[in-house]
Amino acid sequence: MASTSMRQFRAMLRKDIVMELRTKEMLMSMGLYSLLTMVVYFVALSQAGSSFDPRDIAAGLLWLAFIFTSMLGLNRSLVHEKDQGCLEALLLSPVDRPVIFFAKFIGNLIFLLIVEALTIPVFAFLFLQGNALDSGALALIPLVLVAGSVGIAGVGTLLATMSVNTTGKDFVLAMLFIPLMYPLLLGAVTATSAAIIGGPEGVAAFWTGMAWVVGYDVIMILASYGLYEFIVGA
Amino acid sequence: MRSTTTRAFIALVVGGVLTLAAFLGAFFWAGVPDFGFVRTAERADSVRYQGPFEQAIDETRYLTNFIGYDVEVVSGGETFRGDLLEADEVHVTLQTAEGEVRVSAAEFESGLVRGSSYGRPDWGQKIFYFHVPVAEISFIVFGFAAFYSLRFIMTRKREYDTKARISMEVTLLFVLLTMATGILWTKAAWGVWWDWEPRLTTYFIMTLLVVAYFVLRNAVEDEERRALYAAAFSILGFIDAPISFFITRLIPSNHPVIERGGLEPPMLISFIIAQVGMIAFGYAIYQLRMGEVLLKDRIEHAKTLLER
Repeated sequence: MASTSMRQFRAMLRKDIVMELRTKEMLMSMGLYSLLTMVVYFVALSQAGSSFDPRDIAAGLLWLAFIFTSMLGLNRSLVHEKDQGCLEALLLSPVDRPVIFFAKFIGNLIFLLIVEALTIPVFAFLFLQGNALDSGALALIPLVLVAGSVGIAGVGTLLATMSVNTTGKDFVLAMLFIPLMYPLLLGAVTATSAAIIGGPEGVAAFWTGMAWVVGYDVIMILASYGLYEFIVGA
Repeated sequence: MRSTTTRAFIALVVGGVLTLAAFLGAFFWAGVPDFGFVRTAERADSVRYQGPFEQAIDETRYLTNFIGYDVEVVSGGETFRGDLLEADEVHVTLQTAEGEVRVSAAEFESGLVRGSSYGRPDWGQKIFYFHVPVAEISFIVFGFAAFYSLRFIMTRKREYDTKARISMEVTLLFVLLTMATGILWTKAAWGVWWDWEPRLTTYFIMTLLVVAYFVLRNAVEDEERRALYAAAFSILGFIDAPISFFITRLIPSNHPVIERGGLEPPMLISFIIAQVGMIAFGYAIYQLRMGEVLLKDRIEHAKTLLER
């Protein structure tokens, strides 16, 4: 039984990845969107003056880019399923609903992580040049990146499944998504910022932030997993 | 049908009487707390001189109704302004709204000089008897909304969706009242309208979640689907309520917390009456809306019967 679910899960995940490899639509749109965000950041910071240190707010800017990019991607991933009738076909086939949740969740997580991994070097190249980053505990950043993305993708998959069936999809997703994400974002920005600044205090603050993020992940993904069954079938 | 209206009416009367009683109790029975015995020294703007009263000045820098002060140092028969460390005698000249007052440092420090000490009544605290019950009810009704949503998901009975929706409407009303009274109090007590402080922030997020619930409801056309989505979202959103409630006890926060045994009997009794009255009000609003919805359902039902 478990192996059947596993096979179904892999088939669905492969379907998402193959479709993405053929169209490259989600990665392209998310990647370009995050690049455009960088342009907006440059305009926003253009009057900050030379004494301003971008490292102070780098974590906030990064997570801001991630949250908006992820909303775009989440919307896309479910709009595809709905427009082409794929979701209906999935619901008709003898697949457990939680399997659908985990397949979409992991698919979204993978794309989100790829975009994040591409965004960070670009951000560092554009904004952090000349600021030596060797003081920070940068090796810790991938941890919070993965933990934060797990929360974004998990809750986002549930919310996008809802918002895709509403009028005004994008706005509804933003309205539902951002308030629910607040605890995770706060923890993630705290942790990332602490990792950039570094030092023993930074590492301590990093783990406090991580505790928030991981706690949020556990609670919210359990809740999303429990509720998905009812949402996707509605 | 009749019973909802009767219940709403009784709850409204009970709520009205108790809230009035709590109001009278709060203003005429319960004492006005002070900010404590505020010494004039504590009202000074900044620490400009080294000296024994430096600490007192530094600790309560934010109570600034004070215009300014000057320190005159008498040392070896000579008078000059400046360094206190070598002083035999220190005089402080206080510039107050009533004019200049010249006192010795010892007097200044003790706060016993006429015009240099006073108890400051904290009238802003009176909003406590309204703001806190309203905020508590907002959490409780949100809890009911989440509970009915869960019941709806389990049973798929339409009545639970209606109950959850009406609970959410009551939550919205109480959340907005809490925000309004809270903002007034913040201005009176902290001198700012808004502060991104843990309790305020999480409560603001809760407000947004309640608003988002109605945005979601309005955006879904299919009735069954709307009910399910709204139920799922209110359960997810309710997770913020305990965070907002307990956060002042978890992380350092400026928002006051009632401590066990922290209220004198007149204050405590008025507060309890206010709480019960506010619960009755919340219940009355809930039942009134319920009566309206049931009435609408009856009209719809009658219409469909007539069309046949």
